[in-house]
Amino acid sequence: MRRGPWHQFGDRSQRLAIEQIENGKGVGVIISPRDLAYRHAIRYAQVYHDLSVQVLLDPQFYVPDFSNRNLISYPTNDIRTIVSQMQPLSEVELARLASAIREVNNEINADGIIAPAVIYQAGRQDIIQMNSRLFRVAKNVGDEIGIPTYASVVMGRSATSSEQTIDAILGPVTSLNADGWYFAFEFEPERIPSSHDAIYRFCVAGLKLAYTGKPVLHAYAGPMALLSFGFGATATGIGHCQNLWRFCVGRWQPRGRNGGRGDAPARYFSKSLWGTIIYPEEFSSLSIDLQSTVLSPSLFSTLVNPGQPFLQFSRWDANKHLVYTICSTVGEISESLDPRTNASAAITLLQNSISLHGTIAGMGLTLRDDTNIYQENWRTALNELLESRASEYDYLELLRS
Amino acid sequence: MPFVVPIERAQEEFPQFTFISPLTPSAQKAAFHVRDEDGLDLCLKIISPHHRMDERFQREVQFLQSINHPNIAKLIEYTFSSRPGEYRHFMIEEFIEGDDLTEKLHNGEAWPRTESSSFFSMLCDGLSQCYLKGVVHRDLKPSNIRVKSNNFPVIIDFGLARHLNLPDITGTSQGAQIGTKTYFSPEQWSGTKYDIDHRTDLFALGILLYQAVIGEHPFYRDDMTEQELQDAICLSNDCLSDTKFRELPHQWKLILERLLKKERSERPNTADQVATILRKIGGV
Repeated sequence: MRRGPWHQFGDRSQRLAIEQIENGKGVGVIISPRDLAYRHAIRYAQVYHDLSVQVLLDPQFYVPDFSNRNLISYPTNDIRTIVSQMQPLSEVELARLASAIREVNNEINADGIIAPAVIYQAGRQDIIQMNSRLFRVAKNVGDEIGIPTYASVVMGRSATSSEQTIDAILGPVTSLNADGWYFAFEFEPERIPSSHDAIYRFCVAGLKLAYTGKPVLHAYAGPMALLSFGFGATATGIGHCQNLWRFCVGRWQPRGRNGGRGDAPARYFSKSLWGTIIYPEEFSSLSIDLQSTVLSPSLFSTLVNPGQPFLQFSRWDANKHLVYTICSTVGEISESLDPRTNASAAITLLQNSISLHGTIAGMGLTLRDDTNIYQENWRTALNELLESRASEYDYLELLRS
Repeated sequence: MPFVVPIERAQEEFPQFTFISPLTPSAQKAAFHVRDEDGLDLCLKIISPHHRMDERFQREVQFLQSINHPNIAKLIEYTFSSRPGEYRHFMIEEFIEGDDLTEKLHNGEAWPRTESSSFFSMLCDGLSQCYLKGVVHRDLKPSNIRVKSNNFPVIIDFGLARHLNLPDITGTSQGAQIGTKTYFSPEQWSGTKYDIDHRTDLFALGILLYQAVIGEHPFYRDDMTEQELQDAICLSNDCLSDTKFRELPHQWKLILERLLKKERSERPNTADQVATILRKIGGV
């Protein structure tokens, strides 16, 4: 698993990924069957390989009875439907699953297999057993075709509610003979997770996966990618849609339209705020100096400059700018192999961001995007992690050295 | 109670072997050092009629027979047959000349760390080989580790414990009767079968390593009741406050602390990892 930021997009974003990679941002792409039909996945995977990045496919068995026209185009579709019954799979069904996993991963020339798995929930031994069986099938295929197999560790809200419920899942999960972990948490449904306790538990869980000594891909990270390398992740999945900024189970549930609205205003992602400024008048209200501080220029934000309103900033440019900025920042952080150093770098950035929010608030301006509600909690959680889990960090160091 | 078979009776049942001496029996089996017609030294284990192997063991036998690792005793033959008036259930393993690790672990006597590092990293090599195939020992303890004269460890009885139904963990027996449980992990005391995996062995390895490096068992004390032992293993971290432990170099404390974690996901993930770390820290 290549170290650094990976692209993890929804629909109509493959060209955006290509553009980012061509500009040196991103070391891999995670393909989402929910958002991309099988034939297009094969086609784009080849393009990604040609750009020398790695490719993985997330089989998305999370809510196995959910389907859409993209998902049904994959050979794994009928097994996903069978899994939804949570009955032990027959030998024939397991063989079909193996065959489907082999076909899909061969066709996209995957650099590793992400094993299919249902979302883990507290007290559900049946899910643990089902996922263990699904993993073994994937692992056999991975071994056969000579690529690593990553176990999916996607925890639902019931599982993430306490350290005990998390441990009850990590215990059996980390006994799997996986070559790495594809890790995500379902948080409370808010734009960006802000609960200190939830973030702390998330980081502890990530740290526990990391000190198995195997690579961890923090999936559905978005702006939370800032934290990934501080708990020992190897890779982090970045996308521009808000419903990819945490594991959002709603994406795999049959319901009406969700996610960002087509008429959403352009959001300028500010590295120094580690958040966004949406409204042009908010930006205009800042002094020129503060505007300069808030802006973190990128290839895609040339229309946004201090002293000028960014009315012309398009939504797509805003998306590209966000991905580029997050990739740049976490890419730099990931260059250090030391999780402590990475956690400290994130803490410094968050501290500066908190100060900047304070300065803006001091001018009587409250950013309407609630961009200041999570930084303090993230910073505190990371500090707490460094203090209370010092021995885990030492152990990681011992493993690494 | 150990399953004892008098050597004379064993000799009658297995005339093809020359019986050299009885070996330490356990509740599940009587063991003998025997020699076959070609003069090859072997270990014959007669399994108690109270302990029948399940089907999974039959499948595992082939794997165990295929293991060819210097730190694992080779399983040569496994026979189970039952017909009216005749019941035969035995195993033949490679005979490992030497002593049990029991003879080398003495209270109050710590090993030099260089020796601990070398010895236990070899043990991990053996464990690792089996874990790759999903076989767990589950009863790793001094009497299941033979030590050759050159201080080379060999693990015996791999895979047996799971299939020989270890005694129920109930009651309040004391002293020697709870001997085997002094190496139990927290999940063996309070978990289900799903909670047992290779890290169960790593906990036992942690106890053994602690005994070697510190010179004392981390949890067991003389005259402890079974309940006290369980509480110590499942709840207590007092062993990490021991003066001798605190005086260890940081890296040694780290690996011991990890191995003795109550929660298995917090232990090292593989025996390989432990071997690598032990070789790295060596005699520090």
